[in-house]
Amino acid sequence: MHPPAKTRKGCHIVAAMPSLRMTIGPDPGQVAGVSQAFADFAQAHKVPPAVRRSVSIALDELLNNATAYGFPGRGGDVSVEVDLAPDRLSVTLSDSGKPFNPLEMAEPDTALSVDERQIGGLGIHLVRRMMDDVAYHRRDERNVITLTKRLA
Amino acid sequence: MDITMRAQNGVTIVALGGSLDSNTSPKAQQEMDGILAGGAKKVAVDCTTLDYISSAGLRVMLGAAKKLNGGAGLRLFGLNQSVREVFDISGFSKILAVFNSEADALRGF
Repeated sequence: MHPPAKTRKGCHIVAAMPSLRMTIGPDPGQVAGVSQAFADFAQAHKVPPAVRRSVSIALDELLNNATAYGFPGRGGDVSVEVDLAPDRLSVTLSDSGKPFNPLEMAEPDTALSVDERQIGGLGIHLVRRMMDDVAYHRRDERNVITLTKRLA
Repeated sequence: MDITMRAQNGVTIVALGGSLDSNTSPKAQQEMDGILAGGAKKVAVDCTTLDYISSAGLRVMLGAAKKLNGGAGLRLFGLNQSVREVFDISGFSKILAVFNSEADALRGF
Protein backbone atom coordinates (compact mmCIF):
# COMPACT_ATOMS: atom_id res chain seq x y z
CA MET A 1 0.00 0.00 0.00
CA HIS A 2 1.33 3.42 -0.97
CA PRO A 3 1.20 6.24 1.59
CA PRO A 4 -1.44 8.81 0.75
CA ALA A 5 -0.16 11.87 -1.14
CA LYS A 6 -0.04 15.12 0.81
CA THR A 7 -1.46 18.32 -0.60
CA ARG A 8 0.00 21.78 0.11
CA LYS A 9 -2.62 22.31 2.77
CA GLY A 10 -1.58 19.16 4.52
CA CYS A 11 -4.73 17.22 3.68
CA HIS A 12 -4.43 13.59 2.68
CA ILE A 13 -5.74 12.49 -0.67
CA VAL A 14 -6.35 8.78 -1.05
CA ALA A 15 -6.94 7.82 -4.66
CA ALA A 16 -9.83 5.39 -4.87
CA MET A 17 -8.55 1.97 -5.82
CA PRO A 18 -10.62 0.09 -8.38
CA SER A 19 -12.57 -2.62 -6.64
CA LEU A 20 -15.18 -5.28 -7.34
CA ARG A 21 -17.67 -6.57 -4.76
CA MET A 22 -20.05 -9.46 -5.34
CA THR A 23 -22.04 -11.94 -3.26
CA ILE A 24 -23.40 -15.20 -4.61
CA GLY A 25 -25.45 -18.06 -3.20
CA PRO A 26 -24.15 -21.56 -2.47
CA ASP A 27 -24.62 -22.66 -6.07
CA PRO A 28 -21.79 -23.59 -8.48
CA GLY A 29 -23.97 -22.24 -11.30
CA GLN A 30 -23.40 -18.72 -9.96
CA VAL A 31 -19.60 -18.88 -10.27
CA ALA A 32 -19.78 -18.05 -13.98
CA GLY A 33 -21.25 -14.64 -13.11
CA VAL A 34 -18.22 -13.83 -10.96
CA SER A 35 -15.85 -15.02 -13.70
CA GLN A 36 -17.53 -12.70 -16.21
CA ALA A 37 -17.61 -9.75 -13.79
CA PHE A 38 -13.90 -10.21 -13.03
CA ALA A 39 -13.05 -10.45 -16.74
CA ASP A 40 -14.93 -7.17 -17.32
CA PHE A 41 -13.21 -5.54 -14.33
CA ALA A 42 -9.79 -6.68 -15.55
CA GLN A 43 -10.44 -5.32 -19.03
CA ALA A 44 -11.77 -1.99 -17.75
CA HIS A 45 -8.73 -1.46 -15.52
CA LYS A 46 -6.11 -2.89 -17.88
CA VAL A 47 -4.99 -5.73 -15.64
CA PRO A 48 -2.13 -7.54 -17.45
CA PRO A 49 -3.41 -10.70 -19.23
CA ALA A 50 -1.09 -13.03 -17.28
CA VAL A 51 -2.43 -11.70 -13.97
CA ARG A 52 -6.03 -11.78 -15.18
CA ARG A 53 -5.72 -15.40 -16.27
CA SER A 54 -4.05 -16.58 -13.05
CA VAL A 55 -6.64 -14.84 -10.86
CA SER A 56 -9.49 -16.14 -13.05
CA ILE A 57 -8.22 -19.67 -12.49
CA ALA A 58 -7.92 -19.13 -8.73
CA LEU A 59 -11.47 -17.73 -8.55
CA ASP A 60 -12.83 -20.68 -10.51
CA GLU A 61 -11.07 -23.22 -8.29
CA LEU A 62 -11.92 -21.68 -4.93
CA LEU A 63 -15.47 -20.56 -5.68
CA ASN A 64 -16.32 -23.89 -7.25
CA ASN A 65 -14.93 -25.70 -4.18
CA ALA A 66 -16.80 -23.47 -1.76
CA THR A 67 -20.16 -23.64 -3.54
CA ALA A 68 -20.00 -27.34 -4.46
CA TYR A 69 -18.89 -28.74 -1.09
CA GLY A 70 -19.30 -26.07 1.59
CA PHE A 71 -23.07 -26.06 1.99
CA PRO A 72 -24.43 -29.61 2.19
CA GLY A 73 -28.20 -29.22 2.32
CA ARG A 74 -28.23 -25.67 3.64
CA GLY A 75 -28.15 -22.07 2.53
CA GLY A 76 -25.51 -19.41 2.91
CA ASP A 77 -23.45 -16.97 0.92
CA VAL A 78 -20.04 -16.49 -0.66
CA SER A 79 -18.65 -12.98 -1.01
CA VAL A 80 -15.92 -11.83 -3.36
CA GLU A 81 -13.80 -8.70 -2.98
CA VAL A 82 -11.22 -7.72 -5.58
CA ASP A 83 -8.96 -4.70 -5.06
CA LEU A 84 -6.51 -3.41 -7.62
CA ALA A 85 -3.52 -1.48 -6.24
CA PRO A 86 -0.71 -0.02 -8.37
CA ASP A 87 1.52 -3.02 -7.67
CA ARG A 88 -0.86 -5.87 -6.86
CA LEU A 89 -4.26 -7.40 -7.18
CA SER A 90 -5.81 -8.63 -3.93
CA VAL A 91 -8.76 -10.98 -3.60
CA THR A 92 -10.71 -11.86 -0.46
CA LEU A 93 -13.22 -14.71 -0.57
CA SER A 94 -15.47 -15.24 2.43
CA ASP A 95 -18.11 -17.93 2.83
CA SER A 96 -20.51 -19.06 5.53
CA GLY A 97 -20.02 -22.74 4.66
CA LYS A 98 -18.62 -25.51 6.83
CA PRO A 99 -15.04 -25.00 8.06
CA PHE A 100 -12.57 -25.90 5.32
CA ASN A 101 -8.92 -24.89 5.08
CA PRO A 102 -7.80 -25.64 1.51
CA LEU A 103 -4.17 -25.10 2.52
CA GLU A 104 -4.32 -28.26 4.64
CA MET A 105 -5.00 -30.41 1.58
CA ALA A 106 -2.22 -32.80 0.57
CA GLU A 107 -0.28 -31.93 -2.55
CA PRO A 108 -1.28 -34.15 -5.47
CA ASP A 109 1.26 -36.50 -7.03
CA THR A 110 1.92 -34.78 -10.37
CA ALA A 111 4.34 -37.46 -11.58
CA LEU A 112 1.82 -40.26 -12.21
CA SER A 113 0.95 -41.60 -15.68
CA VAL A 114 -2.21 -40.80 -17.65
CA ASP A 115 -3.95 -43.94 -16.37
CA GLU A 116 -3.04 -43.30 -12.74
CA ARG A 117 -3.69 -39.58 -12.59
CA GLN A 118 -6.62 -38.08 -10.66
CA ILE A 119 -7.84 -34.48 -10.63
CA GLY A 120 -8.62 -34.24 -6.90
CA GLY A 121 -6.53 -31.63 -5.12
CA LEU A 122 -5.14 -30.23 -8.34
CA GLY A 123 -7.21 -27.03 -8.19
CA ILE A 124 -5.81 -25.93 -4.84
CA HIS A 125 -2.31 -26.89 -6.01
CA LEU A 126 -2.73 -24.56 -9.01
CA VAL A 127 -3.90 -21.71 -6.76
CA ARG A 128 -0.93 -22.07 -4.40
CA ARG A 129 1.55 -22.12 -7.25
CA MET A 130 0.01 -19.33 -9.34
CA MET A 131 -0.63 -16.78 -6.57
CA ASP A 132 2.14 -14.90 -4.76
CA ASP A 133 0.39 -15.29 -1.41
CA VAL A 134 -2.51 -17.41 -0.18
CA ALA A 135 -3.85 -17.27 3.39
CA TYR A 136 -6.76 -18.91 5.19
CA HIS A 137 -8.54 -17.75 8.33
CA ARG A 138 -11.62 -19.03 10.13
CA ARG A 139 -13.21 -15.80 11.32
CA ASP A 140 -16.72 -15.08 12.69
CA GLU A 141 -17.98 -18.51 11.58
CA ARG A 142 -16.71 -17.89 8.04
CA ASN A 143 -13.96 -19.28 5.82
CA VAL A 144 -11.85 -16.34 4.68
CA ILE A 145 -9.24 -16.82 1.95
CA THR A 146 -7.01 -13.96 0.84
CA LEU A 147 -5.00 -14.05 -2.38
CA THR A 148 -2.34 -11.68 -3.61
CA LYS A 149 -0.94 -11.50 -7.13
CA ARG A 150 1.79 -8.98 -7.91
CA LEU A 151 1.37 -7.07 -11.16
CA ALA A 152 5.02 -7.23 -12.17
CA MET B 1 -16.26 -21.29 -24.81
CA ASP B 2 -16.24 -21.87 -28.55
CA ILE B 3 -15.64 -25.38 -29.81
CA THR B 4 -15.13 -26.16 -33.50
CA MET B 5 -14.17 -29.45 -35.10
CA ARG B 6 -12.74 -30.62 -38.38
CA ALA B 7 -11.26 -33.86 -39.66
CA GLN B 8 -7.98 -34.08 -41.54
CA ASN B 9 -6.28 -37.30 -42.69
CA GLY B 10 -7.86 -39.40 -39.97
CA VAL B 11 -7.19 -36.86 -37.20
CA THR B 12 -10.04 -34.98 -35.52
CA ILE B 13 -8.88 -31.44 -34.81
CA VAL B 14 -10.82 -29.78 -31.97
CA ALA B 15 -10.32 -26.04 -31.54
CA LEU B 16 -11.13 -24.61 -28.09
CA GLY B 17 -11.71 -20.87 -27.76
CA GLY B 18 -12.21 -18.79 -24.61
CA SER B 19 -11.90 -20.25 -21.13
CA LEU B 20 -12.11 -23.91 -20.15
CA ASP B 21 -13.27 -23.77 -16.52
CA SER B 22 -15.95 -25.18 -14.22
CA ASN B 23 -18.63 -23.33 -16.19
CA THR B 24 -17.60 -24.36 -19.69
CA SER B 25 -16.04 -27.79 -19.11
CA PRO B 26 -19.38 -29.71 -19.14
CA LYS B 27 -19.93 -28.54 -22.73
CA ALA B 28 -16.36 -29.45 -23.71
CA GLN B 29 -16.79 -32.82 -22.00
CA GLN B 30 -19.96 -33.43 -23.99
CA GLU B 31 -18.28 -32.55 -27.28
CA MET B 32 -15.27 -34.72 -26.49
CA ASP B 33 -17.51 -37.66 -25.50
CA GLY B 34 -19.33 -37.27 -28.81
CA ILE B 35 -16.08 -37.34 -30.77
CA LEU B 36 -14.91 -40.46 -28.96
CA ALA B 37 -18.30 -42.16 -29.33
CA GLY B 38 -18.01 -41.47 -33.06
CA GLY B 39 -14.93 -43.67 -33.16
CA ALA B 40 -12.13 -41.09 -33.27
CA LYS B 41 -8.77 -42.65 -32.48
CA LYS B 42 -6.58 -39.60 -33.01
CA VAL B 43 -7.56 -36.20 -31.59
CA ALA B 44 -5.53 -32.99 -31.86
CA VAL B 45 -6.66 -30.16 -29.58
CA ASP B 46 -6.02 -26.69 -31.01
CA CYS B 47 -5.45 -24.35 -28.03
CA THR B 48 -4.48 -21.30 -30.13
CA THR B 49 -7.48 -19.27 -28.94
CA LEU B 50 -7.82 -20.93 -25.51
CA ASP B 51 -7.50 -18.09 -22.97
CA TYR B 52 -7.05 -20.13 -19.77
CA ILE B 53 -7.75 -23.57 -18.31
CA SER B 54 -8.60 -24.54 -14.72
CA SER B 55 -8.60 -27.99 -13.11
CA ALA B 56 -12.12 -28.60 -14.45
CA GLY B 57 -10.67 -28.28 -17.95
CA LEU B 58 -7.72 -30.50 -17.07
CA ARG B 59 -10.26 -33.14 -16.05
CA VAL B 60 -11.72 -33.09 -19.59
CA MET B 61 -8.26 -33.46 -21.13
CA LEU B 62 -7.29 -36.29 -18.79
CA GLY B 63 -10.56 -38.12 -19.43
CA ALA B 64 -10.00 -37.90 -23.18
CA ALA B 65 -6.39 -39.04 -22.85
CA LYS B 66 -7.42 -42.09 -20.83
CA LYS B 67 -9.87 -43.10 -23.57
CA LEU B 68 -7.37 -42.47 -26.36
CA ASN B 69 -4.90 -45.29 -25.92
CA GLY B 70 -3.38 -44.08 -22.65
CA GLY B 71 -2.81 -40.65 -24.13
CA ALA B 72 -1.11 -41.84 -27.34
CA GLY B 73 -4.12 -40.75 -29.41
CA LEU B 74 -4.25 -37.20 -28.01
CA ARG B 75 -2.05 -34.29 -29.03
CA LEU B 76 -2.29 -30.60 -28.13
CA PHE B 77 -0.82 -27.53 -29.76
CA GLY B 78 -0.87 -23.72 -29.62
CA LEU B 79 -0.88 -23.36 -25.82
CA ASN B 80 -0.46 -19.78 -24.56
CA GLN B 81 1.80 -19.00 -21.60
CA SER B 82 -0.99 -19.37 -19.02
CA VAL B 83 -2.19 -22.74 -20.32
CA ARG B 84 1.42 -23.90 -20.56
CA GLU B 85 2.00 -22.84 -16.92
CA VAL B 86 -1.05 -24.81 -15.75
CA PHE B 87 0.17 -27.85 -17.69
CA ASP B 88 3.63 -27.52 -16.15
CA ILE B 89 2.37 -27.10 -12.56
CA SER B 90 -0.05 -30.01 -12.86
CA GLY B 91 2.50 -32.31 -14.47
CA PHE B 92 0.32 -32.59 -17.60
CA SER B 93 3.24 -31.38 -19.76
CA LYS B 94 4.95 -34.66 -18.98
CA ILE B 95 2.03 -37.03 -19.54
CA LEU B 96 0.32 -35.39 -22.53
CA ALA B 97 1.86 -34.74 -25.95
CA VAL B 98 2.17 -30.97 -26.34
CA PHE B 99 3.41 -29.40 -29.60
CA ASN B 100 4.10 -25.82 -30.61
CA SER B 101 2.25 -25.77 -33.92
CA GLU B 102 -0.45 -27.66 -35.78
CA ALA B 103 2.13 -28.85 -38.32
CA ASP B 104 4.28 -30.28 -35.52
CA ALA B 105 1.29 -31.93 -33.88
CA LEU B 106 0.09 -33.61 -37.07
CA ARG B 107 3.48 -34.81 -38.21
CA GLY B 108 3.67 -38.59 -37.83
CA PHE B 109 0.33 -38.72 -35.93
